[in-house]
Amino acid sequence: MQVRIRQAWNHLFTILSSGSIVLLVAALLLFLIPMLRKGIPAVVFRGTVEFRKMQAELFDRGDTMALQKETEQTWQARQEIYTILDHFSRGIDTEKLTDEAKDLYRDYGQILRYQETPKEQYTELRGRAKEIRDHLLDAFESTDKDEIAAHLDAIEALRDEAAFSGTPVEKMFTMTGDFRKLIATVDLSKRDIFADELEVVKEELYNLFGPRPDEQTPQLAMKRFGATRWDVAEKHLTFLVWQEKWIPSDDGQTLVAKQVRRDDPLEGSFAGTELAPLFSLTEKILKDTMKPRFTLYWQYFIDDSTPGHYFGGVGPEVLGTLLLTLLAMCFSIPLGVISAAYLVEYAGDNLIVKIIRICINTLAGVPSIVYGLFGMAFFVAYITKQPGVLSASMTLALLVLPVIIRASEEAIRAVPQTYREAAMGLGAGKFRSFLTVTLPAAGPGILTGIILSLSRAAGETAPILFAGAAALAPIPDFGGKWWLQETRALSYGCYDITVGDKLAMMVPHKQFGMVMTLIILVLCLNVIAIVIRSRMSKKLRGM
Amino acid sequence: MSKNTSKPSSNPAAAQFSRPLRLSVSQDLRGLLAKNIGHGILFSITFVSVLAVMAIFYFVVQESVPFIFKGGFRDSLSRVTEFLTSTAWYPQKEENPEYGALAIIVGSLYVTFCSLIIAVPIGVLAAVFLSDIAPFSVRQYCKPIIEILAAIPSVAYGVFAVMVVAPWMQKTLGFSTGTNAINASLILSVMALPTIISVAEDALSAIGREIREASYGLGATRAETMIKVVIPAAHSGIIAAVILGMMRAIGETMVVWMASGNSSRIPSPWWDLSQSVRTMTATIAGELGEVPKDTDHYYVLFAIGLLLLIFTFGLNMTSEFFMTRFKKKSRGL
Repeated sequence: MQVRIRQAWNHLFTILSSGSIVLLVAALLLFLIPMLRKGIPAVVFRGTVEFRKMQAELFDRGDTMALQKETEQTWQARQEIYTILDHFSRGIDTEKLTDEAKDLYRDYGQILRYQETPKEQYTELRGRAKEIRDHLLDAFESTDKDEIAAHLDAIEALRDEAAFSGTPVEKMFTMTGDFRKLIATVDLSKRDIFADELEVVKEELYNLFGPRPDEQTPQLAMKRFGATRWDVAEKHLTFLVWQEKWIPSDDGQTLVAKQVRRDDPLEGSFAGTELAPLFSLTEKILKDTMKPRFTLYWQYFIDDSTPGHYFGGVGPEVLGTLLLTLLAMCFSIPLGVISAAYLVEYAGDNLIVKIIRICINTLAGVPSIVYGLFGMAFFVAYITKQPGVLSASMTLALLVLPVIIRASEEAIRAVPQTYREAAMGLGAGKFRSFLTVTLPAAGPGILTGIILSLSRAAGETAPILFAGAAALAPIPDFGGKWWLQETRALSYGCYDITVGDKLAMMVPHKQFGMVMTLIILVLCLNVIAIVIRSRMSKKLRGM
Repeated sequence: MSKNTSKPSSNPAAAQFSRPLRLSVSQDLRGLLAKNIGHGILFSITFVSVLAVMAIFYFVVQESVPFIFKGGFRDSLSRVTEFLTSTAWYPQKEENPEYGALAIIVGSLYVTFCSLIIAVPIGVLAAVFLSDIAPFSVRQYCKPIIEILAAIPSVAYGVFAVMVVAPWMQKTLGFSTGTNAINASLILSVMALPTIISVAEDALSAIGREIREASYGLGATRAETMIKVVIPAAHSGIIAAVILGMMRAIGETMVVWMASGNSSRIPSPWWDLSQSVRTMTATIAGELGEVPKDTDHYYVLFAIGLLLLIFTFGLNMTSEFFMTRFKKKSRGL
């Protein structure tokens, strides 16, 4: 019996231990899969015609002729939707009508003055025009059909072909006629609701298609284009077609939110109106109006981004990260490799060497944020006098120094003693035998360490927070003192784009895209290091 | 002339040496000098690490001194006492700003210990798996996975915590906020695991075969061998591994800054992990960018940095102590 318990306990232990490794793998997959799955759409997606327009306008990219043709086709398709919208909004959007009527009245007054009409006639005509205008405005304001009809009839009574023909007032009469026709189809009691809902519809159409061709080009770059991606377009289409309505629940006690179509015959806001066909039409011809096409936007990794991170890619961040890490390596590789060589080949086992080793271990254990403090208090304050590429990369160099020393030390130590003895037996001195025999033999190991520290430096954020990383810094100007300028970096950019950047919240694929870029960069470096190491160990085993 | 030319040919072996075999005194001296100078240069380059450690301590202390020693002795004593025992952290107040960092220090230790509670059992078990259970081929695939887990940048983990874990916690687990202590601890434990596993595995592998074989020979199962013999024998190394993992967790900045919620109060009740906390690293990272230089607030952030530095230095020394003890012991066996 006891043996069985012991056996069971033994199996349990084995399962638990294996399970912990499985857990680890699961953690890695749980992390990598969502991050990459959400990040890849930044590069691979279905781009719409708006995307191609944006690329052409902001990055001078793509076939202009084909784009021109495509744009015209889509405008033709969209025209139908806009016709419905315009026709409907005339009845609802009374503000526009009111303004129109007021303008007409003012124009008429000016015309009268130009023609130098005699004073009495002027007062009389103008008074009548004013009366017409007031009736019109009252008609627009009112929600009671009888009242409106009364106002419109009053206007009809004032109609005087002889006096007003060819003047703006005649247009007012046309407006009157149009409005009478409109009123017949519109449920006036709902006009306020219609007006609010119409605003939403218009906004979503803008989000889908961008500004209309006859509209002025907006100042903001992000307002110049509609939905650049098919998934975004579909999202805006749902916002356009579906609305949330509070409907009494079955027992009639409470209100429940329910998603209904705007043209739903029972509950939709626009049921039975002239606007109702717009929704199914937009749904039906969305493909023709957007022309989605499979796009591999590899330029994401080199493009500048504008405005904020809304359009474009992560080019400046990648450049900044490369600058920072390569410069940091320039400082730390010579220092690290020489230190390692000294520690292995020359140093004895005395107190000073012990202190050096303790210091290297301490350096490896200093929290990264303290490196940031140090970089700010020393490199920025005393050496460069302002935060910039140089101070940030020096801070990073200090951070990876212990990593490089340890890796190189291990690699140099792993070179068999026989190599050195052979070199010395051939008459080489200690220095020469190190330079020509030991160092090349330890090369792959040192290279692995360097690549790993490169990936560490690329991923560190805290040390460069105060030493030279900035969220939307301009690209360093290589004609001038680029090493004193602040730069963007992938690591800091990842932080800023997820937590700090309000604009980027609207484009989650860009947020994950930047993180994906950083992860891919680091993973590639690590895979290279792992491959080099496995080849090296095979070689060593082969010997 | 003929004498000179004939002389080397009489001894063909000697002719192949381009230099005299015996050095003159000046050549000898020059060689010695070159060796010592080269040695000196190499030594001074290596010494840069020592200088760097000293400089880090010096500059962090220099910037925190104006906060610690301001006014008379009594003044500075009361300031330091307030710093270490009060939980009122209101550095931005117009008059009488308060710099009580207790909640922040407790927050740091809180998430660190929570992450260790998760990471230590898993880490030690994984190390046992790698050193004693897994066949060689499996081990070869596991090592790169652990390395990649260690290599993923902390800011990427932070984004994961904010954008994936936090919404999930809020929706599925029904927490009032997704950025809280448990979120930060979970991610920190994943980050501390690779350190713990690799150091603990080294320690377990360093315990000789004989010990295991003796235990098996007495009829013990694998679980008994590991728990009663190998792990006790490697305990110093495992303690060092745990301390190194702790250092990694306490010094981590980006994850806790993004995932812990940053509210500077001690969780009450103390076991409620779903509350937001704030750590030392996150305080420095979040506030240093916005304070003007040479103000009390600026100096107090460096004082927190100094505290952090002292913590990690102490932990480092402890792990070093256990490491040397372990090495001595395993060499003695």
